[in-house]
Amino acid sequence: MSLVRPLFERSFALIVLGLAGAAAVFFLLRAAPGDPSLTVLGDNATPEAVAAFRHHWNLDRPVLVQFWLWLVQTLRGDLGTSLTISNGTSIYDLLAARLPQTAFIGVYSISIAIVVSIFAGTIAALQRGRAGDTVASSFAAVGVSMPDFWIAYLLIYVFALGAGWFPSYGYTSPSKSFIGALHSGFLPALAIAAPMAATFTRILRTSLVENLHKDHVRAARAFGHGWVHVFVHHVFRNALIPFVTVIGLQIRYLLGGTVVIERIFGIPGVGALMVDGAFGRDYPIVQACALTFLLCVLTANLIVDMVCTGLNPKARG
Amino acid sequence: MRAFLKHRLAVGGALITLVVFGAVALGPLLSPYSPTEMDFSALLAPPSFAHPFGTDSFGRDVLTRVLEGARISLCVSLAGASAALALGTACGLFAAYRGGLADSVMMRASDLLFSFPSFVLALFLMVVLGFGVTNIALAITLVYFPIFARLSRNLGAVVLTEPWVQAARLFGQSTACILVREILPNIAAPLMVQATIGVAFGIVIEAGLSFLGLGVQPPTPSLGTIMADGREYFGPAPWVITLTGVAISFALLGLNLLGDGLRDLSDPKLRSRP
Repeated sequence: MSLVRPLFERSFALIVLGLAGAAAVFFLLRAAPGDPSLTVLGDNATPEAVAAFRHHWNLDRPVLVQFWLWLVQTLRGDLGTSLTISNGTSIYDLLAARLPQTAFIGVYSISIAIVVSIFAGTIAALQRGRAGDTVASSFAAVGVSMPDFWIAYLLIYVFALGAGWFPSYGYTSPSKSFIGALHSGFLPALAIAAPMAATFTRILRTSLVENLHKDHVRAARAFGHGWVHVFVHHVFRNALIPFVTVIGLQIRYLLGGTVVIERIFGIPGVGALMVDGAFGRDYPIVQACALTFLLCVLTANLIVDMVCTGLNPKARG
Repeated sequence: MRAFLKHRLAVGGALITLVVFGAVALGPLLSPYSPTEMDFSALLAPPSFAHPFGTDSFGRDVLTRVLEGARISLCVSLAGASAALALGTACGLFAAYRGGLADSVMMRASDLLFSFPSFVLALFLMVVLGFGVTNIALAITLVYFPIFARLSRNLGAVVLTEPWVQAARLFGQSTACILVREILPNIAAPLMVQATIGVAFGIVIEAGLSFLGLGVQPPTPSLGTIMADGREYFGPAPWVITLTGVAISFALLGLNLLGDGLRDLSDPKLRSRP
């Protein structure tokens, strides 16, 4: 029961941030240079055509009115239509088709990062100062220093072009074949996961090392509890809080990473859509994608907050 | 300083960073090639003594282009990170000093900026501002600014309660004087650590944006555009993208190690650790 109140408070904060984000995105885009009517109709458009276009998209109304109309429409689930993609496809449909792909790659990569970092971080902490630590920590330092798109090409070079184990381009949607999605999504997920795994490993190592020598751990050992039991229940559990917090913070980078990686591997996700929108100055698309990403981060933060509150008896109050 | 020299990682990071800055500053002057000079007799030549990083599809020397591109990437990233440092620290200290509404507004605004994926925010700002070198620096500033604002606000709020700050207030020192002379020196170390990591982060953002074609525009070389070029002939000439990537990682490794080392040194609790 104690989780209800924080859940309620944080959901409220989420709604406020979401609305503020929507306003920021809307007004910033309206302030952008370049006229979307000219982008869509071409430079030779007649003044009448431009006027009709501006009227159709409410661009001739005051900006506050535009914002209100847009907000009401968006809250009803109507995100408008694309300016550039096949003559006005509904953006809602586009996002509905693409969000699952991005979500799949996102969850896939964070799972890889968590599994790898739990192994590497634990080994590094237990072997502190010895070979295992040096290897894990060096890999972590190098991993943090490699941009994801560069890792992507290394992976393609070695595992797709070289070994031929994975496709270098293209992607099977998980709704078609889950195994196919796991297979074709492995390299993109790994490329996003690698720098994250490095960060997680470092945090987990530091956090475990700090906890290993705490008094309650020594006390538990003195009580005669087995070493594995003490590690899992008294060291690992306490080390998890900073670990989960950092995972929450890294979700921003993870979703940012999908933008480039989706382009490289040809995954039809939200990030690739946003890049296409950016090239075509397709403001409704860019706007909708930015908001989708904002909502993803806010939701993920909410989940992480709740997990942390659940893990930490002090925070539960 | 002695502690710094004893810290192997920090020294390693500083050395790598020095080498990178030195190569970037001197490289284009020493190189016998120009970054845009084409040589049609040596298209996609593999790495050799004459061309240590090989040549690209126009026969341009990749090493020269990487050095020239790194100069642009570093300038953009340094400009963005410094602006973020200055702006963020000013806002953060102001929020800490004033408290109340100014503080709440500032912190909620940084919460908001924090809620966008960093690369998505940068991409969005490129659409708003238009593609180009200056705008990438601006985007890096806006993406990184809330980190400095939050950090300096939280650190500043702690230092503000110290007795010597109270004393300075009682002596009737001006607000600006207290902020700059009493508080800033006491929070400078963590800010510098963050700034070092910020430069590395800026390089990644610039490279990512330019790689997609939304940042620095060809023919101007930048680390991102060179890698985007290299992607086109990845199969026949993998060295272009691979060696450029190695160069980026080398620079990032130096900055990250330096940042980590400085962090260990500025935190007495961590100083005893390896």
